[in-house]
Amino acid sequence: MAEPGGSPDVTVIEPFGDAAVLVHPRIDVHAAAAAIDALRATRPGIGRAVPAHDTVLVPFDPLAIEPDAVAAGIRAAVAGPPGTLAPAAEPGADPPIEIAVRYGGPDGPDLAAVADLHGLRPRDVIELHAGASYRVLFLGFAPGFAYLGGLPGSLATPRRPSPRERVPAGSVGIAGEQTAVYPLAMPGGWQLIGRTDARLFDPTREPPIDLRPGSRIRFVPVR
Amino acid sequence: MTGPADVSEVAFEVLDGGLLTTIQDHGRPEWTHLGVPEGGAADRWSQAVANHLVGNAAEAAVLEMTLVGPTLQAARALTIGLAGADLGARLRGGRSLAPGRSIRLATGDIVEFPGDGASGGASGARAYLAIPGGIDVPLVLGSRSTCLAGAFGGLDGRPLRAGDRLVGGPDLVRPELAWAAATRSGPGDVLRILSVGSADLGPLTASMWQVGSASDRVGIRLDGPPLPPGSGGEVRTHGVAWGAVQVPPDGRPIVLGVDHQTTGGYRVAGVVIAADRPVLGQLGPGARVRLLETDPPAARAALVDQHDALAAGVAALRDAAGWVSLADHAGS
Repeated sequence: MAEPGGSPDVTVIEPFGDAAVLVHPRIDVHAAAAAIDALRATRPGIGRAVPAHDTVLVPFDPLAIEPDAVAAGIRAAVAGPPGTLAPAAEPGADPPIEIAVRYGGPDGPDLAAVADLHGLRPRDVIELHAGASYRVLFLGFAPGFAYLGGLPGSLATPRRPSPRERVPAGSVGIAGEQTAVYPLAMPGGWQLIGRTDARLFDPTREPPIDLRPGSRIRFVPVR
Repeated sequence: MTGPADVSEVAFEVLDGGLLTTIQDHGRPEWTHLGVPEGGAADRWSQAVANHLVGNAAEAAVLEMTLVGPTLQAARALTIGLAGADLGARLRGGRSLAPGRSIRLATGDIVEFPGDGASGGASGARAYLAIPGGIDVPLVLGSRSTCLAGAFGGLDGRPLRAGDRLVGGPDLVRPELAWAAATRSGPGDVLRILSVGSADLGPLTASMWQVGSASDRVGIRLDGPPLPPGSGGEVRTHGVAWGAVQVPPDGRPIVLGVDHQTTGGYRVAGVVIAADRPVLGQLGPGARVRLLETDPPAARAALVDQHDALAAGVAALRDAAGWVSLADHAGS
């Protein structure tokens, strides 16, 4: 069922062990994940799709469904051009989620260093960071950790030389060309420029986080 | 009954938590797209055996203990099921308790797992204890499993410690049973893998590996001769599966465990077959393991054989316990 070397116009479905496939869809990865999740209603044994940059990992129970049936189902589900998928399947169609952030000070201990590195004033960094519109590329690394695309290139900053042992929950950080909010307290090496009181990840709720792959986000400065 | 805290339902008082003892069931496979690790028992075979020994469903919530288990005092008479690694389990002042058996405890009995059982660690790193009805903690995201990365589930998302109380379902007086089928899912020192993409598994399968000290439920590091330059590397982050063999730029392989991060950015050379996940779950620091390349038909046959062996073991238990006839009475 693998199609290595296939044309980039064709969805490639690569075996990933005997209980998952890695799908390289030609359509939008979030639309593909939604279509694959919808497929589960009629194909028991297929597990939750995990989208990332340009792939969707699809686990399955090999005792419940044959790999060929998994591949055939996925191929049919993601075959159509993007326009044939219902807009409701696109989380990006929702209004942006606003996250209130206190920039700088003890909440953003690296703000000054980030500003210095780029020859900016701290308030310029805040303006640039809060002025941009972000999209959740995917979630991973830790429960509720959303990788956001859309950081202005002028704010791209390397990680700290040594990671902090404990980054407080709600911290807003920059690493390379990415920005993210730490959903939980954990070790981390991102440059911290601010912090939100919003409890993004709450495991006692279902879903535990409002952000989904494809969600749009804006940061709103508060004091 | 006033709720889960009702003292009459307490099965165990925890006198000592052990090295790393958590509550685990089937995990949270429905929330992986939000970065929540799948979790659940690292050795599903042993979890199933422990549960079946006390009449539970295979994936009911159990205690998963690591190398050195807890010390537990029975708060009432109850039956427990033990499976997995031999951590030297014994009744304080009494007999030793082998894995693969159910044991009837009296109120006040103290069970301990000092580690280094008769097998000297060769039987694995993790043991499982089941009680009738499963261990009752609140469901969080559809599971009772302890999620250490997120600090939720189980007992407030943390390992067991002294002073905890474990609540279970009502006890049914059952005979002490022995699991007649294989107590392990297979040989403990081989992981069969399927290659991913065009990866050359030659160097990975040529050596005997030793599990590194920085190994846990998230993943195990394989120490051995480093892989040839260029074997490892970083790739665009993608979803990864339990059992994926990652090769970072330093050429030292990592095999992802049941609590693995949902996405990863290292090159994946292969994936451990589903039938060998229980073996993976038993590999602790210092264990020696060989990787063996296999193919999809063999992987499928191994999984079907394992499923059949478990079913045969359950059928033998039912015969021994007379559960079928009990169920027939209840239904008439």
